[in-house]
Amino acid sequence: MAQIGFDHLDRDAAVRAWFCEEVLPLEGALLRFIRRNWPTADDATDLMHDVYELAITGARTAIPQNTPGYLFTVARNHLINRAKRARIVSFDLVADLEAVAAGIDMFEAERQLHARDALRRVQAGMEKLSPRVREIVLLRKVEGLDVAETSQRLGIGKDAVNHQLAMGMKALADHMLGGAGKIVRRRYTARRTGRGEA
Amino acid sequence: MSDAGSARDRAASWVLAREQDGWSDQDQAALDAWLEESDLNKAAYWRLEHSWRQADRIAALGGDRPATPRRRTFVPRLGLGTWGSLAALAASVAAIVGMGSHGGHRDIAGADSVATATFATEVGGHRLLGLSDGSRVELNTDTKVRTAIGGGRRAVWLDRGEAFFEVAHRDGLPFVVHAGSREITVLGTKFSVRRVGDKVTVWVREGRVRVDNVEHASAARSSIVTTGGVALSDGAATLITAASPERVEQALSWRDGMLGFDHERLGDIALEFNRYNRKKIIIDDAAAANIRIGGTFPASEPRAFARLLRDAYGLEVAETDTEIKIQKTGLQLPDR
Repeated sequence: MAQIGFDHLDRDAAVRAWFCEEVLPLEGALLRFIRRNWPTADDATDLMHDVYELAITGARTAIPQNTPGYLFTVARNHLINRAKRARIVSFDLVADLEAVAAGIDMFEAERQLHARDALRRVQAGMEKLSPRVREIVLLRKVEGLDVAETSQRLGIGKDAVNHQLAMGMKALADHMLGGAGKIVRRRYTARRTGRGEA
Repeated sequence: MSDAGSARDRAASWVLAREQDGWSDQDQAALDAWLEESDLNKAAYWRLEHSWRQADRIAALGGDRPATPRRRTFVPRLGLGTWGSLAALAASVAAIVGMGSHGGHRDIAGADSVATATFATEVGGHRLLGLSDGSRVELNTDTKVRTAIGGGRRAVWLDRGEAFFEVAHRDGLPFVVHAGSREITVLGTKFSVRRVGDKVTVWVREGRVRVDNVEHASAARSSIVTTGGVALSDGAATLITAASPERVEQALSWRDGMLGFDHERLGDIALEFNRYNRKKIIIDDAAAANIRIGGTFPASEPRAFARLLRDAYGLEVAETDTEIKIQKTGLQLPDR
């Protein structure tokens, strides 16, 4: 009997699984790539989310076989488009992508390390939180207190609790996924736009 | 603020709200609608949800509580622990999560003491535990386990439900899972055990386990199951068979909140969904129950599953407060 797929839900579930298992472990490398090639450091997280958005849209049509190659192609193209739209000087990203392609095996090793290392990364992430935010996250995770109970325990309002929990969640995600990447600023010479897509 | 920044903030609120009591079907529908609005929303939400779930591991370790002075009341003999009293915290986690059972006592007399504790999940629950020997246990829905680590042994009793084990290798110190009449002994490996009454199913993802029948005297005593193998036992009988890596992963997809099926009867699929949800899918109709289906579905969304059945098969779906009833009317199979 033919297997009948349930298109929409099935596809969404498959894309989500692919995103969490194959794309997120590359976040550290992706952030380093973006920071090396975009002048404004503060834009990095937003650009990274743009890349994720584009990657998800593409993967809905077909899940890529080679995730690092796909992700970095999307990233490079996005940075080029943004640079053109912002009319800022475009960077030479071609050489960078070639370096990425050569290092694909390195990413697979990084991904496996990523999975085994999850526990250590959570601990490291927790340590980076401010004491106040860490306390609130622990009350939630270890003692299982809900917002009302936390609010009572700490003597602060529910909105404050929610706000700090959300901050903790976002900071933890950044620490756990972003990794301990060293930011290497590449020195590039200004070039006029006019370099088309390769 | 940027679009991505707003999406991140919204996503964080959604992840937190979804964990609270009182999360209703309307809330779920609102979340689904927001996710459908754009892939940016999906990216932000999936990312935060994924790492927040990973952070559940903190609960198992007990966490570092800077506000109160740390007291070492139990020194794990096998352990890696740099955190304070693991046993004490483990028992308190059980108290929050447990189905009223505060079982297991803490023996904090000294280095030879055994840490015992009870852990449980509710229907639809999912919990990660860390044991003091470095092993990890992941509890699925409606599950209850008791652990005893220390004093020269490592033992877990699976009283009910299903758990996935990542056992840290310790020379000369086997790790034993007791499930009904079966004992599963390992040195270091990754496998799941599911128990329904006296039916015990073991999926081995990596390594080797030995499955012993300790109750039924007339049965063969031991079976070895290796990577990709599955042992199905019921009473005196044990069947060992090999499965593809894909099939093993499908059996373990609950760890990602998904249920995977391959040519299975809708009736059996409904039973599986009902393990994870309070609102049960009921299939009155024998003909509908025999329809075979494959695919992967989020375990916590039975209503969405039912809607798909309605759209794909023209089945009738009637929902009440406690159940989702499905039956066949004028069956129209899609053209394939």
